[in-house]
Amino acid sequence: MEGLVLKGFGEVVKTVTFRIRRYDPEKPDLPKYMEYKVPVQRGMTVLDGILYIKEHLDPTISARYSCRMGICGSCGMIVNGKEKLACQTQVLELNKDLIKLDPMGNYGIVKDLVPDLTKLFRNHEKVKPYIIREEDRPTAEYLQTPEQREQYAMFTDCIMCGLCLSACPTSAADELYLGPQALAQAYRYLSDNRDLGFYERLNVIDSKHGVWRCHFSGACSEVCPKGVDPALGIQLLKELATVNMFVKHKEKGAVKGPDRKSVTEIL
Amino acid sequence: MRESQIMFLQYMTGLLVLVFGSFHFLLISFLAPTSDKVLYSYGGTGYTHVLVGGTLYYTVVKAVYSTLIWGSIFELLLTVLVFHIFNGFRIILSEQFQGERTEKFITYSLLVIALIIFIWGSRTIVLMLSGGV
Repeated sequence: MEGLVLKGFGEVVKTVTFRIRRYDPEKPDLPKYMEYKVPVQRGMTVLDGILYIKEHLDPTISARYSCRMGICGSCGMIVNGKEKLACQTQVLELNKDLIKLDPMGNYGIVKDLVPDLTKLFRNHEKVKPYIIREEDRPTAEYLQTPEQREQYAMFTDCIMCGLCLSACPTSAADELYLGPQALAQAYRYLSDNRDLGFYERLNVIDSKHGVWRCHFSGACSEVCPKGVDPALGIQLLKELATVNMFVKHKEKGAVKGPDRKSVTEIL
Repeated sequence: MRESQIMFLQYMTGLLVLVFGSFHFLLISFLAPTSDKVLYSYGGTGYTHVLVGGTLYYTVVKAVYSTLIWGSIFELLLTVLVFHIFNGFRIILSEQFQGERTEKFITYSLLVIALIIFIWGSRTIVLMLSGGV
């Protein structure tokens, strides 16, 4: 392998201007945007560009990141007006001489490109994102067929990057709206045959700022970097809520259906 | 009421507005003057047209609107319209202004306005049914 060099790798292809939104609660006189010239190499991502600026041009710039490979969901931001993961966005693929970076919308800002994700985690917690069972301690494995897993498989891909909530127009107006991430996760657990928390969760999603506030703009599904379709999950939740609109909600329990019955019988 | 029940009513009334609204506009188009029912009279300063039988004459319109069937349809149209419009306002305002007290204020204020409009509209329909003014 020694001596093998990828053609064009390491060469500066062009210089791109990064226009970055600045915010520091301790420095109110900081300009709104600051521009940095970044020499771009082939394979360079927007996150690489930010790190280049931090290392060589301005160490005061702040961004959130961790894995650099689209798994952790930390580096969500608005790149040229659209929600993206900075580590998954190739600078050259944007095909622009100017890249405008803003922190995600519908959140507070901690500093520069770092959003305050309290709202995202608060909403996620509200929908009880875990398997709810009657028993305190499981005595055996909860069984599930591959077909039953398929019911919600797509929604397990959520990495909680928060891009969907940033793109959601309802979340922009309604501070209390649960948002696409939390609602999609509610559907993920409601459609899990091992879960018995149907009524508990339905009380949360079928509320004034729950599932019915979605106006189906579909922006959440469009920006999801993992191909999850939160808008679909929300529509399916609406169907569930409508079918059960006259059912008296209990504290705990599950919808009666062949899937859940079979699990109970197996156990 | 649970939000799903309210939203179910919202969608249903939306559909019913379409149905009863269509009846309403169909009726108007049946009553509208056709060329053979309009008399044109030319004077020194131009021409005026005069409506004759089967057209939008007040008495003709009143005769149609005074029937129990049409009165019922208009009452239903009024009911579904008032619900759909004011629940729509409630949704929009609740999204813009959150908070338990604020939302209660929005809901009850709109409920009062909706009731006033509903009663006023019903009064008109009942007056027309009982012979008009």
